[in-house]
Amino acid sequence: MNILSVVTLFPFLGVLALALMPKTNTYQIKIVALGTSVVTMVLSFVLAIQYKSPASGFAFVTSHAWVSSFHINYALGIDGLALVLILLTTVLVPIVVLGGWNESEGGRWSVKTFYMLILVLETFMIGVFAATDVFLFYVIFEAMLVPVYFLIGGFGTGERAAAALKFLLYSLFGGLLMLAAVIGIYIISAQQVIGSFDVSALSHLSIDHTTQNWLFLGFFIAFAIKAPLWPFHTWLPGAAKAATPGTSILLLGVLDKVGTYGMIRFCLTLFPDATKTFAPYIIVLSVISVIYGAFLAIGQKNINSLIAFTSISHFGFITLGIFAYTSQGLTGATLYMVNHGFSTAALFLVGGWMVSRRKSAAIEDFGGLQRVTPIMAWMFFIAGLSALALPGLSSFVSEFLVLLGTFTRYPVAAIIGTLGIVLAALYVLILVQRSLHGPLKSGNESMSDLNLREKIAIAPVIAALVILGFYPKPAIHVINPSTTSTMSQMNVSDPHVLAGK
Amino acid sequence: MRTSSLLVYLIALPLFSSAFLLLLGRIADKWGHILATLITASTFVIGAYEFMKMQGQAGESRAVTQKLFEWISVGSLKVNASLLLDQLSICFVLLITGVGTLIHIYSIAYMSHDKDRRRFFAFLNLFIAAMLLLVLGDSYLNLYIGWEGVGLASYLLIGFWNHNPTYAVASKKAFVANRVGDVGLSLAIMICFAQFGTVSFEGVKAGAHGASSAAIAGIGAMLLLAACGKSAQFPLQSWLGDAMAGPTPVSALIHAATMVTAGVYLISRSNFIFDASSTARLLVVIVGAITLLFGAIIGTAKDDIKKALAASTMSQIGYMILATGLGPVGYAFAILHLLTHGFFKAGMFLGAGSVMHGMDDEVNMRKYGGLAKLMPITAVTFGLGYLAILGVPPFAGFYSKDKIIEVAFNAGGLKGILLGGAALLGAAITAFYMTRVMVMTFIGARRWKAGSHPHESPILMTLPMILLAFGSVASGFLLSNGSALVHWLEPVVNSQNVEEGKPLMPALVVSLLALGVVVIGAAFAIIKYRTVSDVAPENVSEFTKAARKDLYQDILNDRLLVAPGTLLTAGLVRADDRVIDGGVRFVGSFLGATSDALRKVQNGFVRSYALLMLAGLVITVIAVWVIGA
Amino acid sequence: MPTLNYSQLAPILIVLGGALLGVLVEAFLGKKQRGPVQIVLALGTLALSFVWLLRIRNDVSATAAMGSVATDGFGIFLQGAVLVLAFLALLLIADNDHFAPAASALPGSEEEAQALLSGTRTTEVFPLTLFAVAGMMLFPIATDFITLFVALEVLSLPLYIMTGLSRRRRLLSQEAALKYFLLGAYSSAFFLFGIAFLYGYSGTLSLTDVGTANIFSVGSPAFLYIGMVFLTIGLLFKVGAVPFHSWTPDVYQGAPTPITGFMAACTKIAAFGALLRIFYGAFFLMQFQWKPFLTTISIITMVLGAIAAMSQRDIKRTLAYSSITHAGFLLAGVVALNKDGLAASMFYLVAYGFATVGAFGIVTLVRDSSGEVTDLSKWAGLAKKSPLVSVAMAIFLLSFGGVPLTSGFISKFSIFTAAYQSGNIAIVVVGVLSSAIALFFYLRVVLMLFFQEAPTDGVSVVIPSIMTRIAIGVCAVMTLILGVYPSLLLNLVNTMATLVH
Repeated sequence: MNILSVVTLFPFLGVLALALMPKTNTYQIKIVALGTSVVTMVLSFVLAIQYKSPASGFAFVTSHAWVSSFHINYALGIDGLALVLILLTTVLVPIVVLGGWNESEGGRWSVKTFYMLILVLETFMIGVFAATDVFLFYVIFEAMLVPVYFLIGGFGTGERAAAALKFLLYSLFGGLLMLAAVIGIYIISAQQVIGSFDVSALSHLSIDHTTQNWLFLGFFIAFAIKAPLWPFHTWLPGAAKAATPGTSILLLGVLDKVGTYGMIRFCLTLFPDATKTFAPYIIVLSVISVIYGAFLAIGQKNINSLIAFTSISHFGFITLGIFAYTSQGLTGATLYMVNHGFSTAALFLVGGWMVSRRKSAAIEDFGGLQRVTPIMAWMFFIAGLSALALPGLSSFVSEFLVLLGTFTRYPVAAIIGTLGIVLAALYVLILVQRSLHGPLKSGNESMSDLNLREKIAIAPVIAALVILGFYPKPAIHVINPSTTSTMSQMNVSDPHVLAGK
Repeated sequence: MRTSSLLVYLIALPLFSSAFLLLLGRIADKWGHILATLITASTFVIGAYEFMKMQGQAGESRAVTQKLFEWISVGSLKVNASLLLDQLSICFVLLITGVGTLIHIYSIAYMSHDKDRRRFFAFLNLFIAAMLLLVLGDSYLNLYIGWEGVGLASYLLIGFWNHNPTYAVASKKAFVANRVGDVGLSLAIMICFAQFGTVSFEGVKAGAHGASSAAIAGIGAMLLLAACGKSAQFPLQSWLGDAMAGPTPVSALIHAATMVTAGVYLISRSNFIFDASSTARLLVVIVGAITLLFGAIIGTAKDDIKKALAASTMSQIGYMILATGLGPVGYAFAILHLLTHGFFKAGMFLGAGSVMHGMDDEVNMRKYGGLAKLMPITAVTFGLGYLAILGVPPFAGFYSKDKIIEVAFNAGGLKGILLGGAALLGAAITAFYMTRVMVMTFIGARRWKAGSHPHESPILMTLPMILLAFGSVASGFLLSNGSALVHWLEPVVNSQNVEEGKPLMPALVVSLLALGVVVIGAAFAIIKYRTVSDVAPENVSEFTKAARKDLYQDILNDRLLVAPGTLLTAGLVRADDRVIDGGVRFVGSFLGATSDALRKVQNGFVRSYALLMLAGLVITVIAVWVIGA
Repeated sequence: MPTLNYSQLAPILIVLGGALLGVLVEAFLGKKQRGPVQIVLALGTLALSFVWLLRIRNDVSATAAMGSVATDGFGIFLQGAVLVLAFLALLLIADNDHFAPAASALPGSEEEAQALLSGTRTTEVFPLTLFAVAGMMLFPIATDFITLFVALEVLSLPLYIMTGLSRRRRLLSQEAALKYFLLGAYSSAFFLFGIAFLYGYSGTLSLTDVGTANIFSVGSPAFLYIGMVFLTIGLLFKVGAVPFHSWTPDVYQGAPTPITGFMAACTKIAAFGALLRIFYGAFFLMQFQWKPFLTTISIITMVLGAIAAMSQRDIKRTLAYSSITHAGFLLAGVVALNKDGLAASMFYLVAYGFATVGAFGIVTLVRDSSGEVTDLSKWAGLAKKSPLVSVAMAIFLLSFGGVPLTSGFISKFSIFTAAYQSGNIAIVVVGVLSSAIALFFYLRVVLMLFFQEAPTDGVSVVIPSIMTRIAIGVCAVMTLILGVYPSLLLNLVNTMATLVH
C-alpha cells in the first residue's frame, strides 16, 4: 500500500481502536489518540523524506476505481503545496491533543467521542490535500464539515449550537455551488475527451471564456467562504468564540487552508483565463480583508474573536499573494498558509490556557500576567509577534514575499496591504498590553504558570516559528516547484524588472 | 572582495547569550550580567581586530563579507543571509560594541537592585545583536531584520518596568511609531525589487542610475520615512520623549548613541539612491532642519532631565539627517557628528543616570541644584559632554557640528541660507537649553526633597562616564584631523567627486558665528536660571506652554490619527454585525417569512386544495398551448 | 384469444394471489391466529414475488400481455424496488398497535373501547398493502392507458383506506383519508379525461402509438396538449409536485406512520416509474411542448417545497415537504430525458425509498404516554437518551440533505449530472440553491436532536421490536453503503435503464 494512503488512513485506524475502548477509561483513550497522531506525524515525516519534487504532476500517485460509472477514482498524489500542508496537519494534531488535554472533558459527550471526531477529522484533512480526483476532493471537502460541526456543537462553549449550525450552513452552501461547478467541468471533460475528475487531465481541457467564468465562481465562492475572505467571513468569529481551542486551531490552522489551497489547485490551474479576469476584483477583496480584519481585531473584546479577525486579515494576505500569481506571491502565500497555521496554533493554545485558567475570554479580565505567569506571558507574546510578522519569525518571510510578489503586479494593492503591518502591531500590542502588562488585575493572582505538558505542546510550535523564520529554505525549496508548475499551467510569468541591467 | 569568518560571531555571540540568559531563567541571576558584559566586550574585540585588518588594506579593498547561507530564493528574488563590513559599518560596529560595553558595565551597578537584572542584560545583548545585524546586513532585507530587531529590543527595554501602565503604553507607542517607519522601509524594498530585481546594496547601487527618477525619488522618500520612524525625526518623533520610561542606561545606549542613529546609517548607506535624486535630498534636508529646531525648542521647556536630553538627541540627529541630505560631502560629517554625539550624549545620559541614582530616581531638575560639589565626577564628565555638544572648541562637537553648519550654508542660494540659518539657530537654542540643564542640575541653590542624600556613584558607573568623557573631548579632533574620517569613508560614500560650490562664507566666519550664538544662548540661560523655583511656574509664555507640550505633537496625533481610528474601528465593528452579518440574517428571515406565508395556503380545506390544483391545471394548459402554437 | 406470458406477469400475480389469500385468512381464521399468519403470508408473498422477479430479470418483452405491459429492465428494476421497500415497510406495519382495532367505530366510542379490550387488530391492513403493492408494480410497466388507469386505482384505493386506520388521533387520520380520497378521485378524473383526449387525438390507447401518432399528425394538436397536460397532472398529483401537492402534508401527518413510510417510498417509485415511461416513451417526440412546463414545475416544486418545510414544527409534515422537494429533484431527472437521467432517477428512487422508510420507522419509535410524538420541539435532546436512534435519524436526514458519503448525495449528484448533460443548467443551479435551503431544516432537526437540552416532559424511545430494528437497520446501512460505495447500485441501474417501446 502506497505510503501516502498509509499516512492518510492511519488516523482512521485510531478511530477504530477508540471505538472498541470503554468510554470510562479516559486516560487510555487520550493516550491512544495521542499515540495515533504522533505515529501519523512520524509517518508523514517519512513521506517528506522520501518526497522528491516530481518533474510534472504529483508524487506518490495512487489510483483505484471508486465509482466507475462516473469515472470517479480514489486517486491520491502530492506536490510541494500539498506536502507542506499535510505536514502542517500531522504536526498540529498531536499538539492539539496534547495542548488541549482536558478540553474534551465537560463536553456534551464522552471524551471518547471527542478524540474519535478529532482523528476522523485528521484523516479527512490529510485526504483533502492528497486527493487528486476532484470528486474525491469535493466529498472530503464536504464530509470534513460534519466532525467539526459536532466538535463545535458538542464540546464548545456559549452559543455553540448556533455557531456550529452557522458554520455548517455557510460551508455547505458554498459546497453546493462548487458541486454545480464540479459537475459542469465533468460534463465538459466528457464532451471533449472522456468524462474524468482527474485534476491533471481536467487542466488540459479548453473551456470557453464564459463557461470558465461561471465554473470559476462556483469553485471560488466555496473557497472564499472557507478561507474566509471578506465579505464571506461572518461565520468565523462566532465559530472561533464557541469552539474549544483545539478545534479552533484545526479550524483556522488547517481547514480554512483548504480554501486557499483549493484556489491554487483548482481556480488557478483549471480556469486560468477566468482567474485573470477576476484577479483584480479578488485583489480588492483581499486588501479589504487585510485592513478590515485588522480593524475589527483592534475592536474586539474577546480574545478568541480577536484571534479570528487577525486570521481574516492574514487570509487576506494569502489570497493577495495567490491572485497576484507571481512566483513570490504564490510561494509566499503557500508558505503563509503553513506559518499562519503555526502562529494561530500558538495564539489559540496559549490563549486557550489563559482562558481556561481565568474562566473568561474577555480581554478586560486579564492584566499583569507577566508578573504571575511569566512563561505563559512570554509564549503569548512570541505568538503575538509572529502574528504581527516580526522579521526573524517565519510569518515575516511569507508576508514579505506576498507583498513583494503583489507589488510587482498590483503595486497599489501592495502599498495598501503594507499599511496592514501597522494595524497588526496595534492589535497585537494592545492585546499584549491589556492582558500581560500593567498592574495585576484581581482574579489573576492565583493563576498558575505553564506545566510540563503545556510546555512540551507549545515548544515545537515556537521552534517552527523561529527556525522557519531564519532558515525557510527547506520549505521554500519544496514549494517553489509547484509554484512554477502552477504558473506554467496558467501560462504566466513574473513581471519584468523595470530598470533591468 | 575579502571574506572574514569572524563577522557572524559579532551577531551570534550576543544573540545566543541573550537567548541563553532568557531560557536559563533565575538560575543565571548570579552571573548573567557578567556573561552579557563579557560577550559584548568580546564583540568589541572582534570589531577592533577587523578594524586593524582593514587599516592594513588599501581604500578600495577594505570591505569584507561573509556569506552564511541562502535565506530566501523565489523566482528572481535571491536573498542570502550574508554580512558586509566596510568602512561605514565598522564605524558603527565600534561605536555600538564600544559604547555598548561601557554601558553594560555601568548597568551592572545601576541595575544591581533590580530583581530582573538578568533579563535586562539579556535584552541588552539582544539589542547589540540586532543592531550589529542592522549595520552588517549586505541587503535591505537583512538590514530589515536588524531594523525590527532593535525595535523589539527597544520595545522590551522601554517597557522593562511594564507593570507601570504608562511605561507599557510608552513602549507600545515606540513600537507602533517605528512600524510606521517600517512601512516606508518595506515599500522601499518592494520598489527596489520591482525596479532592479534585487534588494542587495550592491545590486541596487549598480542599477540606481538606470532607474526612472520617479522610482528613485520614491525609494528615497520611503527610506526617509523609515529613518524618521527609527531616528525620531519629524513627523514621527513623538515616541522618543516617552521612551525615556526605560532604564537610563537604555536611554543612553539605544535612545541616544546607537539605535536612534540607524536612520542616519540607512540614508548614508543608500547614498547611491539619494545622490541620484535631488527631490529625495530636498525632503531629507527639510525633515532634518525641522527636527533639529523642533527638538531644540521642546528641549528648552523640559524639567525632566532625561526628556530634556531626549529632545536634544532628537535635535542633534536632526543635524545629522540634515547633513546626509546635503549630498556626498555631507555623509562624512553626518557620521562624524553621529560618532561624537554617540560619545557625549551617552556620557551625559549616564551622568543623568548617576544623578538620579544619587537622588533616589528623581528626574525633575527643579528638585536638583548644586549637585556639583557632591557628585564631582558626574559633574565634570557631564560638563565635558556639555561643552562638546555646544560645539566649543576644541571639544568633539565643535569639529562635527560646525562642519554641518558650514556645509548647510554652502548648499547654495536661498536654500543654503535657510538651512544654515536653521542650523545656526539650532546651535543657539542648544546652548540655551543645555546650559539650563547644567545650571539647574549642578549649580545654584539646593532644591532637594527632604531626606534625599545625593552621593557620587560607584566606580562601575563613574568609570564608563570618564571614558566617554575622553571621547567627548578628543574624538572630534582625532576623527577629523586631516579629515581622517572623510577619507576613510570616501570609498563608500564617494565624497570626493563633489563639485565644491564656492562657499557662502569662509569656514572661519561660520565657526565664529556659531561660537557667538552659542555664547549668547548660554549667557541668556545663565541669566534666566540664576534662581529656579522647585515647581514649574504656571504663568509662562504661550511659547513655553507649547514647548512643554512638545509643540502639541501628541494632541495633533491624537486628533488626526487616534481619534478617527477609534471611531472607524467602532463603526466597522457595528457594521460587521449589522450590515454584513445582518445581510445574511436577512436572507434567512426572508425565507422564514415566505415559509410562514406558504403555511397559510395550506389551510386544510379540500376545496381550496382542489381550487389550487385547478388553477395549476388551467395555467399549464394555457402555457403548453402557447408554446405549442 | 389473448395470449398472456404468465411467467413475466407472475410477480404481480403472486402478489395479487397473496392478497386474496389474505382476505380468506381474514374470513376463516380466529382473531388470535390472524395477526401472525397475515404477517408471514404478506412477507412471504413479497419474497416469493421478488425471487420470481430475479428469475425473469433478463427476458425483456413488450408483449407480455398483448402489448399492454412492457417487462423491460426499467420496469423490472422498479418492481423489485417496490417489493424490497414494501417488505421493509411491512416490517414496520407488522410491528404493533399502529392501527385502530375497529376502524368503523367512532373515535372514543364504547364500541372502540370494547374492540380494544377484546384485543382486536385490524389485520386487513396486510391484504390491503399487498393490493397496493400489486398496483404499484403494474403502474410503471403499463404501456396502455387503460392498464395505466387500472393500476393507478388499484394502488390508490387501498391507500385511501389505510390512511384512515390510525389508532391514535383518529379524527385527524379519518380527515386525512377523506381528503386523500376526494383529491385522489379529482386527480383520477383529470387522468381519465386526459386519456380520453389523447384517444381523441390519436385514436389509440397504446402509449407507443400515441408517441408516433403526431408524425402522421392525426387530430388537432389541441387535443394532444390538453390530453397530455391532464394526464400529466394526474401523475404529478401522485408524486406530490407543486401545485398539486397540497394533500401531501395533511395525509402524511394523518396516516399511521408506517403507512406514511410505505406511501412515501413506494408510491413515488410507482408514479415516477409511470411518468418516466410516458415521457421517455409516448411523449418523447413532443418534448418541446412539455419540457418547459415540466421544468417550471420541477423548479417550483424544489424551491417551494424547501421553503415551506422551513417553518414546519411537526416531523411528519417536515418529511412530507421534504418528499415534495425530492419530487422536484426527480422531475429534473424526467426532464433530462437521457439515459443518464433514467438511471439517475432509478437510483434516486431507491436511495430515497430506503431513507424514507427508515426515517418514518424512527418516527414510530419516538413516543410519550399518549403515543407517537411528532412535535419537533419534543424531540430536543433525544441523542442523550437514545444515541443510536438519533444517529440513525441523523444519517437519514443528512441523506435527504444530500451530504456526501450518504446515498442522498450520490442521488443528487447523478440527477444534476444528467440534467447538466441535457443542457438544462438552470434546473441544476436552482436545484443546488434549493438544496441549500432544504439543508437548513434537516440540520435544524439534527441540531435539536444533538445539541438541545431535553424538555422536562421529554419523550422516550420505545424499545423497537426486532422487525422494526431490522427495517431501520437495513435502511441506515443501505443509506451509508450507497453513499460510500454507490457503484453497487449505480452499475445495476446503468445496465437496467432500458425501455422497450
